[in-house]
Amino acid sequence: MADRKLQVALYWGAACGGCDVAVLDTDAFILDLAAAADLRFWPIAVDGKYDDVEAMADGELDLAIFNGAVRNTENQHVAELLRRKAKLLVAFGSCAHLGGIPGLANAASRDEIFHRAYLANPSLEEGNVVLPVTEKKVASGTLEIPKLYRRVHKLDDVVPVDYYVAGCPPAPEQVKAVLKAVISGKLPARGSVVGCSERAVCDDCKRRKEEKKVKRFYRPWQVLQDPERCLLEQGIVCAGSVTRSGCGVRCPNSGMPCRGCYGPTAGVRDQGAKFISAIASIVDSRDPDEIASILGQIPDVMGYAYRFGLPAATIPGTARSL
Amino acid sequence: MKDDCRIGFYICNCGTNIAKVVDAEQVCERIAGLPGVACARAYKYMCSNPGQEMITRDIRERGLNRVVVAACSPRMHEPTFRKALEAAGLNPYLLEMANIREQCSWVHDDPRAATAKACDLAHAAVRRVRYHQPLEKVEASYAPATLVLGGGIAGLTVAVELAEASQPVYLVEREGKLGGNVGRADLTAPYLDSARDILAEKIARAEASPKLDILLRSELVELRGFVGNFRATVRTTGGPTRDLAVGAVVVCTGYQEFDATRIERLGYGRFPDVITSFELERRLRMGRLETDDGRIPRYVSIVHCVGSRNPRYHPYCSRVCCMTALKYGHEIKSALPAAMVTDLYVDMLSFGKGGEDFYRRTSELKTMFLMYEKGDPPRVRAAEPGDDCGLLVQVNERLSGEVIDVPADLVVLMVGMEARADGGDVARTVGISQDRQGWFIESHPKLAPVSTATEGVYIAGCCQSPKDIPDSVAQARAAAAMVLAHVAQGKIEVDARFAEIDPDRCSGCRMCNELCPYTAITFDPDERRSSVQSALCKACGTCVAACPSGAITARHFTDKQIFEQIEGVLAWSSSRSS
Repeated sequence: MADRKLQVALYWGAACGGCDVAVLDTDAFILDLAAAADLRFWPIAVDGKYDDVEAMADGELDLAIFNGAVRNTENQHVAELLRRKAKLLVAFGSCAHLGGIPGLANAASRDEIFHRAYLANPSLEEGNVVLPVTEKKVASGTLEIPKLYRRVHKLDDVVPVDYYVAGCPPAPEQVKAVLKAVISGKLPARGSVVGCSERAVCDDCKRRKEEKKVKRFYRPWQVLQDPERCLLEQGIVCAGSVTRSGCGVRCPNSGMPCRGCYGPTAGVRDQGAKFISAIASIVDSRDPDEIASILGQIPDVMGYAYRFGLPAATIPGTARSL
Repeated sequence: MKDDCRIGFYICNCGTNIAKVVDAEQVCERIAGLPGVACARAYKYMCSNPGQEMITRDIRERGLNRVVVAACSPRMHEPTFRKALEAAGLNPYLLEMANIREQCSWVHDDPRAATAKACDLAHAAVRRVRYHQPLEKVEASYAPATLVLGGGIAGLTVAVELAEASQPVYLVEREGKLGGNVGRADLTAPYLDSARDILAEKIARAEASPKLDILLRSELVELRGFVGNFRATVRTTGGPTRDLAVGAVVVCTGYQEFDATRIERLGYGRFPDVITSFELERRLRMGRLETDDGRIPRYVSIVHCVGSRNPRYHPYCSRVCCMTALKYGHEIKSALPAAMVTDLYVDMLSFGKGGEDFYRRTSELKTMFLMYEKGDPPRVRAAEPGDDCGLLVQVNERLSGEVIDVPADLVVLMVGMEARADGGDVARTVGISQDRQGWFIESHPKLAPVSTATEGVYIAGCCQSPKDIPDSVAQARAAAAMVLAHVAQGKIEVDARFAEIDPDRCSGCRMCNELCPYTAITFDPDERRSSVQSALCKACGTCVAACPSGAITARHFTDKQIFEQIEGVLAWSSSRSS
């Protein structure tokens, strides 16, 4: 591998750009990468066209790193294209891994989303009722834009994926670890979530864990927290127990509850369902009314449970969106 | 594993119980076409010997390695069919049952829809059984000593039975003496033998037995461990706190009497000559059948169902009061032939051996029986000047429809039995449950009357429900027999279905620690991992559902097995609905 430079592509699907920034966030390491690799395609950093990728031979790329969810025909087209051209395809970050924040759109139908964005948006001018269309004939020909799907998909819903890198965004240390693994050729078992633990964030969290019985849930700003004790035991809704460790416990170490961006642990297939079971298990009451009122203190339970993984859920959205 | 499955499918008609609604032949045909199903048969009674032998023979002759029986609830016959697998040398856990009786034929009357549902349930079982794994039961030792809680007639009986069978017993009694509520009684109905004599004999045997350790003024404060291997912490007032190794616990904590002041119109606490049955027993034992100020009563009125069979207090019958009231009529008439006894009852419940005969004999003693409406107890007031009695008891008499004032110098309230106020503490300490009234719950009301949901913990006597002395003694001896059967084996088999924590996946979050109803989970603070003591686990699944990192698996209830079952139940129904 040393005699030849690695051929690498990076791409963003339905994403915020944070994952690309996370790659740049590796500081000086990015220069090592540039020394070891040819960056053949990277929309955020390097000029390039889809045609350039189309022109490559199948399997010509050693590595394609795909961040973002699959939201429209363009995302799927590039996912399939990179799959064909690359020996290894990595789902990078929460959106490609599990659907991510864009995946929360599956709680609503496409029509509802369009209605909200284009017709009922408070920032619209009065009388502005323009809805996007995918094709438009103009004097010079037909203009096309990608078609928005009814649902948001994770990357492996549309193409086979070799490795996953978890996180929103992945921690810079992990980005380095993945790139180093590919450069050195020392790859873990195919299909694994690279650079992570099999266990939950709690395993690496240094906070003291005692009895988990909660009578009152708080949002982080509503309570003065004991910096030494498990956040969940203090009623602060922390997703650390249902989330794969590997991030370095960044949020709980900063006094903020884990939001679950690394996805479920190795033994779990539905992180949100586990979150709901776990939260329900620690409510300290046997009275149905009191239980309802305690659980009612968590605003938007679905959004919290599936913040990064609604497209990966057993029931992956509302009936309207399916 | 699932590719080389050879599944035998058997559907039971259960006489007509299943066959009258579900078309078993049709279910058979559909299941026979599923992948992996090597044979499918319907039979009149699968649980019969020929039915079981059919399974055993097919396993041997057709090389089956999985069996599905579509029949009744697994609670009913899973053990039966497991034995049929074992008889053919197949691991018993390679069986799955589809409940098409309780959950199908008994609750539906449309044959077409019920047959479709039976197909779905059977399909689910076939899908699931492919992922069953052979499981081995675990063995544990069984400590010979038994802890008996409560030194009343039930506890004494258990303790004496065990000790005389040469097994060590710790008899823990909260009070300073043995005897319990029976020790407060005079004669017993219906044969009028002395409660004192019954007890004295038992207590003498208890005290004489070298195997029996009587711990008075003592209470159980903690129970850890599991069947055959409990550690009991017993604290004695003014004495040592002991840590006892016992194999079984028999709870015989009895009952407390209803507080008669709660029914204000009966005048208890207001009139000194309104007394409870226990207060009368005391006077009878002392041979002083007198009013509060020492006079011989000319009129005695006995009121039944005080706190019992009354929806405001206790809806149940306290079982012994009618017979005891008849006994009072007899005792009072024997001591004071001139006294007039009135018996105010709701219904006369004199069932049981010798009961009806006793009612006939005592009703010939010129006791006046007056019937009152359930929920409308008599009203007691002071007599008028000039009356020849101290009190008047006003009854809305049901048979005559008249309001009658009954004269009384002494009113005896037949206070009912109720669960002890601190029964909840006992239940929590030993890990058993209580019903709405606070009585301890047995495993099965008919077939397992002294066992509880916690293996190795038994209940006997009135802590389970009101009962008379013969029934308490019968339960006590039954519990003793249960214990002896285990002690004789010296070991116990623990069901192979239990939860397991994968230490490589446990994150030490401690979510499960407080959830286990059987205290089977322990946390190792050094390793920062939780683990399940398999012998204590009842495979309820609470921790499995709660475990946020999926580190806990319930053997025989894996996610894979359950998802297969769901897929199976939906496979045909989705094609029907579309």
